[in-house]
Amino acid sequence: MNERASKWVAFVLLVAALVPACGAYGAGGTTPIVVTVDRAEIPTQLGGRFAFQSTITNRGTTASDGLIAHLNVLSLRDGVYVDPEDWSSQRTRFLDAIPAGGSTTITWDMQAVNAGSFGVYVAVVPRLPAVRPPTTGLAVHIAVAERRTLNPGGILPLVLTVPTLLALLTLGLGFRRRTIA
Amino acid sequence: MGSVEHTGPRRRRVRWTVVLEQELRDLWIGGRGLLLTFLFSVLIGVIAYIASTNKTLNFLEQRESVNLTLQVVITVGGLLTLLVAADTISGERERDTLETLLLTPISRRDIAVAKFVAALSLWLVAFVVAVPYIWFLGRGVGIVGDALVTGFVVGTFLSVFLAALGVIVSLFAASNRVSLSLSLFGLLALFAPTQLPSGAQRGWAGDLFLRVNPITAGSHYVGKIVVDGFAWTQDVLWLASPVMGAVVLAAAVPVLGARFMRLRGGVSE
Repeated sequence: MNERASKWVAFVLLVAALVPACGAYGAGGTTPIVVTVDRAEIPTQLGGRFAFQSTITNRGTTASDGLIAHLNVLSLRDGVYVDPEDWSSQRTRFLDAIPAGGSTTITWDMQAVNAGSFGVYVAVVPRLPAVRPPTTGLAVHIAVAERRTLNPGGILPLVLTVPTLLALLTLGLGFRRRTIA
Repeated sequence: MGSVEHTGPRRRRVRWTVVLEQELRDLWIGGRGLLLTFLFSVLIGVIAYIASTNKTLNFLEQRESVNLTLQVVITVGGLLTLLVAADTISGERERDTLETLLLTPISRRDIAVAKFVAALSLWLVAFVVAVPYIWFLGRGVGIVGDALVTGFVVGTFLSVFLAALGVIVSLFAASNRVSLSLSLFGLLALFAPTQLPSGAQRGWAGDLFLRVNPITAGSHYVGKIVVDGFAWTQDVLWLASPVMGAVVLAAAVPVLGARFMRLRGGVSE
């Protein structure tokens, strides 16, 4: 019995120790901020311009101030280098305070500069990162169709023809001048 | 009385075109213009070839390739115009042909204007030569029209500015060598800020510095249209210094030409 009692005491002590810890995590670790996007997939073609909206909602009981929304782009297939700066010129937005229960919507203008399959997501980060972790919404799938924009072989005739014509014209005129002289 | 009033302007027009025709013949039939255009076409061809054979270029990098080629066209086209313009008066002096020209019944103002316009012809031909390359690079990304129109407008303003600068320097230079050296130095000084790191271009001082320099302002405007897809009216204030530079120096050419075109060069006279 003593052993059983001591186990109960140990259990109660453990719970007593964990409850404040969980409370602390709930206050600082869980976030009342929710990020949603207005679409799940955007089909486009190389060079196409598109936009989507993300809504940042404050489900907490107090106003949420000092938030930064950041747009990120990554390739969903290996071997494709992505420079997010090329996809959107304005990827970071400093948000005004969002009141409790309120929300703010951001429109992200983008351009598809690579062909392939890409994921785009918005992360909301507090200006004081220690307060709570970043919050992200679902990633939007961007399917960019290939479009042949450059024919490397086609330039060679052009590169050779124009200077050749000019060279022939220069030589012809020089020959004409010498003949007249 | 009326007929007398008519003959004045008509005679001036004829004289002006006669000098221009002679200058164009010297430049193009003489072979110098064609040789410079040939070298220009080789340079643009090499740049276009390197840009177009890189298969890993993404969409935006292709726009940047068009922008790079266009910037080289404008820069080198302007350089050729400047070189020819810097040789106009000082070159005639050194070849001992200026005296003959000054003795003809043609006003010095008309001579200066004709030489200035003849130098500009090099830019026009250089641009025509560059059209197929810009078309080839830009057709896939749909910016041929914008690139050509922007390049022509900005390049023309800058070429007018540089040609006028070359004629004015040539007017005052003591020798042809001095004229060419000063003109090249001026061009390099104007182009130097384009190489500034982006950090140095920020802030009001950096912004102002880039805006007042016709070369950097024109380059910025072309880049915004071709790479960033800006509308024509967006950032149009960046064209202020290229336009102002072209208008002021082009207006100065006939005035200074009439006043300072002399057999001997140098500012001391």
